[in-house]
Amino acid sequence: MTAVHHPPAPPAPQAPPRRRSDRRFVQALPYLLPAVVLYLGFLVYPMLDAVRLSFFEWTGFRNDEPVFVGLDNYVRTFTNDPVFYRALTNSVIWVVLSLLIPMLMGLLLALALNRRMVGRNLFRSVFYIPAVFASITVAAMWRWIYNPNVGSLNQLLEAVGLASLQQEWLGDPQIALYSVFVASVWQGVGFSLVLFLAGLQQVPAELVDAARVDGANRWQVFKAVTVPALRPTTAVVTILTIINSLKVYDLIVGMTGGGPAQSTQVLALWSYQQSITNHDFGQGGAVATVLLAVSLCLVVPYLVRTLKAEEH
Amino acid sequence: MLAAVAAAGMIGTLAACGGSAGGGGDDELTVWMLTLEGAQKEAMDTLVSDFEAANEGVTVTIEERSTDAHKDALRQVAGTDAGPDIYWYWEGPGLGGELVEAGLSKDLTAEYEQYGWADRFGEATLSNITRYGGYHGVPFTQQAEAIYYNKELFAQAGITAEPTTYEEFEAAAAKLAAAGTTPITFGGTVNWHVMRLLDSLIETNCGSDTFDQLVTAETSWDTPCVDESFTQLKTWGDEYFNDGFQGVADAEAQQLFYTGDAAMAYEGTWFDSLVVDNGMDPANIGVFKFPTGTERLYGFGEGFYINAASEKPEEAAEFLDFITSTEEQNKVVGAFSPISVNTEVPTATGHPLHELWPPLYDAASGFYLNNDQNLTLDQTTEYWRVMNSVLTGGLAPGDAGAEFQAFIDSNA
Amino acid sequence: MSGATILANPSASGGQVAAVPAPPPNRPRRDYVGIGLWISLAVSALIWALPFVFMFLTSVKTNADVNTAPTWHLPSVWQWVNYADAVETGDLWVTGANSLVVAVIKVPIGLLLAAAAAYALARLRFRFSKLVLAVLVAGSMVPIQVGLGPLFTTMLSLDLLDTKLGLILPYLAFGVPYQIFMLYGFFRAIPDELEESARLDGASTFRIFWQICLPLAKPALAALFILDFVATWNEYAIAATLLQSQDNWTVPLAVLSFSGQRSTEYGPLNAFIIMSAVPVLIVYLLFQRYFVAGAFSGAVKG
Repeated sequence: MTAVHHPPAPPAPQAPPRRRSDRRFVQALPYLLPAVVLYLGFLVYPMLDAVRLSFFEWTGFRNDEPVFVGLDNYVRTFTNDPVFYRALTNSVIWVVLSLLIPMLMGLLLALALNRRMVGRNLFRSVFYIPAVFASITVAAMWRWIYNPNVGSLNQLLEAVGLASLQQEWLGDPQIALYSVFVASVWQGVGFSLVLFLAGLQQVPAELVDAARVDGANRWQVFKAVTVPALRPTTAVVTILTIINSLKVYDLIVGMTGGGPAQSTQVLALWSYQQSITNHDFGQGGAVATVLLAVSLCLVVPYLVRTLKAEEH
Repeated sequence: MLAAVAAAGMIGTLAACGGSAGGGGDDELTVWMLTLEGAQKEAMDTLVSDFEAANEGVTVTIEERSTDAHKDALRQVAGTDAGPDIYWYWEGPGLGGELVEAGLSKDLTAEYEQYGWADRFGEATLSNITRYGGYHGVPFTQQAEAIYYNKELFAQAGITAEPTTYEEFEAAAAKLAAAGTTPITFGGTVNWHVMRLLDSLIETNCGSDTFDQLVTAETSWDTPCVDESFTQLKTWGDEYFNDGFQGVADAEAQQLFYTGDAAMAYEGTWFDSLVVDNGMDPANIGVFKFPTGTERLYGFGEGFYINAASEKPEEAAEFLDFITSTEEQNKVVGAFSPISVNTEVPTATGHPLHELWPPLYDAASGFYLNNDQNLTLDQTTEYWRVMNSVLTGGLAPGDAGAEFQAFIDSNA
Repeated sequence: MSGATILANPSASGGQVAAVPAPPPNRPRRDYVGIGLWISLAVSALIWALPFVFMFLTSVKTNADVNTAPTWHLPSVWQWVNYADAVETGDLWVTGANSLVVAVIKVPIGLLLAAAAAYALARLRFRFSKLVLAVLVAGSMVPIQVGLGPLFTTMLSLDLLDTKLGLILPYLAFGVPYQIFMLYGFFRAIPDELEESARLDGASTFRIFWQICLPLAKPALAALFILDFVATWNEYAIAATLLQSQDNWTVPLAVLSFSGQRSTEYGPLNAFIIMSAVPVLIVYLLFQRYFVAGAFSGAVKG
């Protein structure tokens, strides 16, 4: 008698992984589509168009046709545009200074505020509120403060006997950029402060306690426990500070318009002025492309790292 | 999906209520012009209310902006449907001409025929209307610019006569500086203010013909007369301008003149009503032409243009005809300029400053325009950058002309 | 702990302080460092607040007062009418209404679209979801000004210049990506078992999204809502490019125009600046904790 072999029951049918992923994609589409379409249409497309226009000459007027000129605009920008190098330098200076000053100040303030004290919330608010205002509003405020005749700063200097330090804060090309930067520090410190405060909350109290018990003083605790624990926060604050400083625009428009003698020009503003004010979309596009390239170089590595870290 | 439907619904209602087609709604004319104050505002209000009274059902809405914001706004709407029915603008090729080229201005040949405007305005006034082919714009003012001075401060500094040569002019400034007064006041943040001095220096040193050739790029800027002009400009900036001029706008600089802290201001016919509105005694103010040694007077025309995209060109033309008519001009002459563009209207009276102008106009063989009306947009931007760099010491005066010429060459 | 954890758990911050432990009991000395710190903090805060004080004082003075006496002197006449003047000259009602309409419409829609997209990327993991996320976020980190010129011409050809709809579409495009990024972290953190048990109960994808994931993300949504509202209210560059007629202006445009046009009317100028900032200030004071928690989002919006 032959034993009938019943082959073991096959496992419950599983859709092959590839097809499930595709099915999921179809499912995901209606959720994804509106946001992505908007994004592609009104963010990606204009930016790519700026790159495209950088190879053309066009006034932007409806009755004018773009004319292909190849690399002419770039040649002009890199060899014959005195303002471009000023704008590029200023953008770099701005990024470096933003990393050094507001970030550091924010960290120091966060460390100082990271303890129970009377009026802690009030202090935090005072430092943070400027960040909540529109940059244009901050610009208007500080333009008033810097007014050479009736503005508060020069008046203060005179009152304390330091009249010799009075300057044309926004009128002297040597210092105008830094005057505007001061306003951005006033606005930006609060932002770093809050982020670092949040990061400090994450420092494990047990580690601090353990170090203290081991006899470490404040400075040693800071170095051995706080700094390493703050690393992720610092990374985030760094990248956000870099991104924000490349975006500086409203402050400059509101305080100096790029002057005096184009000494406060930055890439974002120069590109806009060439396109929209001077009606030279080709040149404006070239400067915009440079800005785009710089931004992507800074942003993409960070993104890649963060998203990889997400996996773990 | 719910979200999509909700979004579509909201966006739909938005589209229905948020839009604005070219010009105003039915029977509403929109006009864009500069911010008006004092006597000028009153004058415009009079013109508007008279027009509305005479034309039932039509309203005129005026939108005001500061000088640079006005330029930006119009450049942005050129070729779009977002502009006004009528816009006020400077007539020169660098400004008004640029908008004509952009297709913003309607050719008014038919209207000139219909209303007989060619007879209403003088030939000089029309020259900037017809230079673009056909007729673009309706003149509203023909402004001239000259040096306003405070007679009392001049007397205190020991200046007994109005300067008639450039050397006398600079000597007068030196005397004022020695007497402790700010000789002349400018607002550096609005580049076109200081530019007036530079333009006149160029006219002085280079003469009328060369000036015209320079601004049309027919001759090089890298030339001694231009270098001399920039050198003189630097001297003025260092020794005779108000302190801190680089950081103030024109309005604040003018305050110094009103308060008697500065002795001179390089302004134009529109300034007559401004000085009175701001509390000065007109009897204490004199005016003299910048001593260029040429026969031309510094000045420009301003007019109202009809937007080519306007849906109400007939009403717009009616309005412009009305405000330049003899009857209406008689009411408001003097507010914008002592001499009306309408040839039938006599010079304004009742203001001692108004009487100072006709002799200047009559003695002039023509006008030379402010350079931001002569040069193209990017040339103007560079012109101002070079001018400011010289003033702040970033560029040697002798190199300025060459630098500007290099820009012109590379962007030709 | 990655930065994403901080992003994903905003409730972890902004609450109680992880205080530095008090000095051990065998050191009964006064905490001089603490006191010194407090004093220097107080002085710094005072200096930081000076601009507000000066502006307020100037806003209630006449021009004569401003020209003759230093800023910190009290006004000789309390010129409250400056505020009324400013409202009228600066057209605050009209521009405020415009800003409000734009914000009230844009913010909820944006959040909804962002939540939907984040849900798709985080929970309906398909092959390229990571890549899509990266592309979305990268774009939002690039300065808007790169695309301003072409944005203008695009809106021109769509006939949407100078309209609210024309303003809202780019606002959505620029605002949604990092909201997606933030919500992505949130949705990823939702335990798979929740979703699985819901599916076993027969819930559709939409129901899982609407009834399970969204409610769980409420803290993040609230934070993003507030921050986005403020950022939309404060936006200048796109509004300046796309809006022309003064009737359509938003508040930041009015502030700049006032600052330029009426630069010598010091009293009303400062009054206007203060009034334009008050709505945002009120929002902050009411919803402080959301700012602290969601500060990341506000930053990227710039």
